[in-house]
Amino acid sequence: MNIKTAVVLVGIGLLLAARPVVAHHAFAAEFDANKPVKMTGAVTKFEWTNPHAWIYIDAKDETGKVANWGFELAAASGLMRQGWTRFSLKAGDVVTIEGTKAKNGSNNANAQTVIVASTGQKLFAGANQGQTP
Amino acid sequence: MKRSFTVVVSAAIVAALSPSLSAQWALRPQPGVPKGPDGKPNLTAPTPRTSDGKPNLSGIWMRTERAEAPGSQPAGRPPLATFGNIGVGFKEGLPYQPWVADLLKKRANAYDNPDALCLPQGPLEYHLDPQPREIIQLPQKIVIVYESNYGIRTIYTDGRPLPKQGDPQPYWHGYSVGRWDGDTLVVQTNNFRGALTNMPGDGWLDGKGDPFTDALTLTERFRRVNFGKLEIDVTIDDPKAYTRPFTVRVEQEIVADGSEMIEFICHENQQFLKLTGRAP
Repeated sequence: MNIKTAVVLVGIGLLLAARPVVAHHAFAAEFDANKPVKMTGAVTKFEWTNPHAWIYIDAKDETGKVANWGFELAAASGLMRQGWTRFSLKAGDVVTIEGTKAKNGSNNANAQTVIVASTGQKLFAGANQGQTP
Repeated sequence: MKRSFTVVVSAAIVAALSPSLSAQWALRPQPGVPKGPDGKPNLTAPTPRTSDGKPNLSGIWMRTERAEAPGSQPAGRPPLATFGNIGVGFKEGLPYQPWVADLLKKRANAYDNPDALCLPQGPLEYHLDPQPREIIQLPQKIVIVYESNYGIRTIYTDGRPLPKQGDPQPYWHGYSVGRWDGDTLVVQTNNFRGALTNMPGDGWLDGKGDPFTDALTLTERFRRVNFGKLEIDVTIDDPKAYTRPFTVRVEQEIVADGSEMIEFICHENQQFLKLTGRAP
């Protein structure tokens, strides 16, 4: 097994490892895998809810316009099993979120990574919904 | 590199990286868990039994993340099913009736998946969901509470026969009766709603949308192999949707660290209808 293969396998492993909390909703019906998004902004609201937790941030889009964007996470129950709580993030925290935009053109997306700007801490690791296999 | 090797290595990596349940809040001691010399739960300890000597299936169970390449299951064992695709282990695919092809096209983006709609999941979605389920074994019935979408299912084990088709109203979960065949609990279920209602969420066996209809008789053979492992062989006998019956294997592992079922109210903050244009 060469390095490249090993890297691919670890990638697959991470993908699969994320599965225990992934599968609630139907990703393909809501989000467009071909529309990636990356935004930084202050948290205006953190909803610790089921079937998905949501983070809302005020952020600039590609045109420079500031708007409120919603990012979908996994279910609160699944995040809780991984050790996260409703206190893991609070309004005012500045985060960088990478994800996939909603198909309907609204200011919503599915969050794949959430990083706290001041510390670099990765929140809700492995907890993105992702494409259900 | 051979595919089977990839599967094995990937599975090992998955096992190593899967999040531990112990990351949850402070755990309470869980009674009845056999311990090994190292003080850890002994998952291969003998199957626990009820006072009448039957295997006791009670406990909180998680699906395993094990996967295998199509056709690679040992001889005589049904292929493993996955939440996304119960037919993944069949080299030739599932034995669909001709009309199913069109239905699967319609279901391709999972728009009407009951899982996403907060409706009751299909029987194999419930068995294979990443959220746990709790089996509560009582003398005359067995109740299964599925954390995902709060499915509650009763399996009558008091000797009553399976009802005639059409006697109960069609049920999302079907009507289930169980009997013991040695150490195997054999559960038969009929009177399902099924895909032919054409109602959103009806008749989904997996995330891909493999259907079942009101003609389904489901047979599940539950075997608690040891303290830690539950095997369920599920036979789909649905002549309206499939040209012949077929059987898949589900594997589940006991939760033995004292962690609990977690409340999951699916309509609490349901955005799916909005994001798919069905609600303002």
